[in-house]
Amino acid sequence: MINLLVLFIVVPLTISVINLFFPVVIRKGLTFLSSVFLLFLCYQVYLKSPADFLMYDRLVFSIDKLGFFTLIFSQALSFIILIFSLKGVDKEIQSSFFILFPMTVAFCNGAILAVHSIVLMIFWGLTGITLYLFALLGRTKDTPKTAKKTFIIVGGSDVFLILGLLLIGFLEPSSKMTLWNVHLALSGELAITAFFCLLIASFAKAGGFPFHTWVPDFCQDSPIESAALLPASLDKLLGIYLLARMVTSLYVVTPVIYLVLITLGALTVITAVMMAMIQHNGRKLLGYHAVSQVGYMIMGVGSGNIVAYVGGLFHLINHTIYKSTLFLTLGSVEKKTGTGNLDDMGGLAKKMPLTFVAALIGALSISGIPPLNGFFSKWLVYQGMFEVIAGSSKGIQVWLLVCLVLAVFGSALTLASFMKFLHAIYLGKRPKSLDHVTEAPANQLVATLSLALICIVFGLLAMPLPLNKLIFPILTQSGLAIPEFFGLYDPMLIFWLFGSAFLVGLLIYFATRRVRLDENYLGGMESEEKFRIVGTAFYNEIRQMSPLRSIYNWAERKYFDCYDMLSKVAFGLAHFFSSMHRGLLQMYSLWIVFGFLIMLIIAVVIR
Amino acid sequence: MTRWLFYLLVFPGFLFTTILGLLIVWVDRKVSARVQFRQGPPLFQNFNDIFKLFGKETMIVKESARTVFVSAPIFAFGMIVLLATIVGLAAINRIGFAGDIIVVMYLMMIFSVAVILGGGSSGNVYSSLGAGREIKLLLADELVFILVCLIPIIQSGYKLRIDEILVAQESGVFIGSISGAIGFILGLLCIQAKMTLPPFHIPEAETEIVEGPFMEYSGPLLAFWKLSQGMMYVIYPALLVILFLGGFKWTGIGILYSVLKYLLIVVLMILIKNTNPRIRIDTALNFFWRIAAPICLIGVVLSVWGL
Repeated sequence: MINLLVLFIVVPLTISVINLFFPVVIRKGLTFLSSVFLLFLCYQVYLKSPADFLMYDRLVFSIDKLGFFTLIFSQALSFIILIFSLKGVDKEIQSSFFILFPMTVAFCNGAILAVHSIVLMIFWGLTGITLYLFALLGRTKDTPKTAKKTFIIVGGSDVFLILGLLLIGFLEPSSKMTLWNVHLALSGELAITAFFCLLIASFAKAGGFPFHTWVPDFCQDSPIESAALLPASLDKLLGIYLLARMVTSLYVVTPVIYLVLITLGALTVITAVMMAMIQHNGRKLLGYHAVSQVGYMIMGVGSGNIVAYVGGLFHLINHTIYKSTLFLTLGSVEKKTGTGNLDDMGGLAKKMPLTFVAALIGALSISGIPPLNGFFSKWLVYQGMFEVIAGSSKGIQVWLLVCLVLAVFGSALTLASFMKFLHAIYLGKRPKSLDHVTEAPANQLVATLSLALICIVFGLLAMPLPLNKLIFPILTQSGLAIPEFFGLYDPMLIFWLFGSAFLVGLLIYFATRRVRLDENYLGGMESEEKFRIVGTAFYNEIRQMSPLRSIYNWAERKYFDCYDMLSKVAFGLAHFFSSMHRGLLQMYSLWIVFGFLIMLIIAVVIR
Repeated sequence: MTRWLFYLLVFPGFLFTTILGLLIVWVDRKVSARVQFRQGPPLFQNFNDIFKLFGKETMIVKESARTVFVSAPIFAFGMIVLLATIVGLAAINRIGFAGDIIVVMYLMMIFSVAVILGGGSSGNVYSSLGAGREIKLLLADELVFILVCLIPIIQSGYKLRIDEILVAQESGVFIGSISGAIGFILGLLCIQAKMTLPPFHIPEAETEIVEGPFMEYSGPLLAFWKLSQGMMYVIYPALLVILFLGGFKWTGIGILYSVLKYLLIVVLMILIKNTNPRIRIDTALNFFWRIAAPICLIGVVLSVWGL
């Protein structure tokens, strides 16, 4: 009898290897079949919890409710993104794409299912490598640079993961490197170091502040399907999954750490969204939002409150859904127009109406407009935050309130930047060069519209579907009580009321309308191309405000980019040391004496 | 179900709020006229205007995204009716219905979304400019508005439901404290900006960008925008009364107080409107982010200490 869990890794990996030997059409077919099969496997796992997988008497793969929650969404999202990719991936990269795709899914599943430290390290590292390979598939001039940056940040964070896991194994030898049920007390330097090591790994994967800088670059320079697959979906799932494990079952977290996590979450929200607002490239804008939304998840999962925890997990899946919608709709537009630059687009709502609808729903959902799914999860996070605040001392209350205000205001800024995004692509005046554009192909529409539909369904039926079926079981399994919400929000009622009012309005309009079509009125002038407002300049006033102007300038010079700063330091040091090597014997002997003196001083001081 | 529809469409939703809103707009026009030494319109002028608009032709720009252009004002109208129902039930029956204060805050943003979609879809340069200004104005006032809404939440002991905020004010209205007073004053300015009344009528700016997002609208669709704006005159001041002035009581002397509280806010708004010229968008951003937000943050800190 084959273990079900192993199939989650072996099947896509096998397909990936088989794909090497077949033409592209068969590669697509096989990848699709394996994706369908994995969804079927998920259903089997849902029906009956499968047996654990052991090797040499050590537990290797196992699944619990949190694992299943992450697993099912990684399968579902990769399936929908695959549908989108069936037609439309660039011809030049198609053959590599359908080898990397199943491979990524396999490694991601491995990382989710792994319970042994070493296995987790291996799969976690492998997902980083596929990320690098995807980045290399890009067609822009910055591709090599971005791929390197991605690899160094994500790969570098793997070092911290390994260090953290080894430290935990050292601190808790009885666990025999088996994870997730350690409940280590967060006291002592080593335990705290291990915690922060893992935190760095989780933040770098999910894109939390300050290790987020690879996400926008990756989104800009890699194929858009991979941007929807990795930074928007699978990497978020993995990163936040690790964070959720850390705060619930790996550690017993102290209030100070919760405070740190909430602060980092709020900072992630606000810094990334402020950067997103001023972008002129659609992908980069979405990339910054992929970072900013992580802030809500960090706040939710890392606040130590059950309602917020539920909200954080729910926001995680909501984000994967609407961010994939947005990336894929942008992909459709890019493939039709041949540009990703917002300044060159406009007025496409008339040419691509269905894509526009999907993008609109995604944009409203990410901005937290009720009754869509993004609002529900944010509402849960806020509620949990209020509970945390109510139970804190007065000074900390103020601190947390500021974090909360930043988060709530973050969603207004999100709305603003998505209004700019929608206006620039779909509204306003269409440039003449885009008159030939037609609606996206059927497979892309199926993918984007079904994702948009899930946004609506998860918003309206949040309680019965995702919460009751998937998230509350996680709480019950870890012995936590299912929380009661003290706020009031009835999405179904709001939907019906709003729908009825809209319908009444529509009836009145149709009863009274007499339509005449006419040209734009511009005070008698002819509507020309030069009277085109794109919308990318909407926020120039904000950009010019002091002190924001200086901050934006610094950000554009990459002063806040940990990768850039560290590489500058590294190169600077290298330059310094290389300038020491002049080849003069006297210099070398002087350095030897100098070094000896320093060591002597250190030895004396330590004594 | 029937009861909900009654709430939504008759009282306190659509019909009631529309009529009251148009009457308040008349008060606004009349007072403004008197301030400017004019006579002002007769009582039912607004109703005539609206009915006339419904009888007019709808002009639609050929090049526009027609579905968006048509549905945006109706979308805004639907949202305002929903908001009227939620706020109205809290004002009339003191009950929490369908959503708490966070939901109301987020619902209020939808109107701006509709304005931007409607304005942007026509392809007119003035409309797009206005749409851009609308969203910037939203950003400007939203930060302060969030802080303003926090004050009653904190003072009521972290209650989010509107009915619980009302209950918490039975022992003393929030405006009686320093933080409450700060919140009320800044809340008033936020509402002024949210309704794009002078000095914050930057997105419409008739003399400059010719009504901005509404420029290409005519006939029934324009009527929907006007109706929504009229209804806001009822909803937003009522929300402020609920958050800071203890809500409305419809028994005995309470009726008189309730009407006075509401009229006080409306008259203040009209006075602000008539005594200030339009400011630029960067001035508005500076004012809300640099001056109002820190003051309001002080208010929030004071309210944490119960002042």
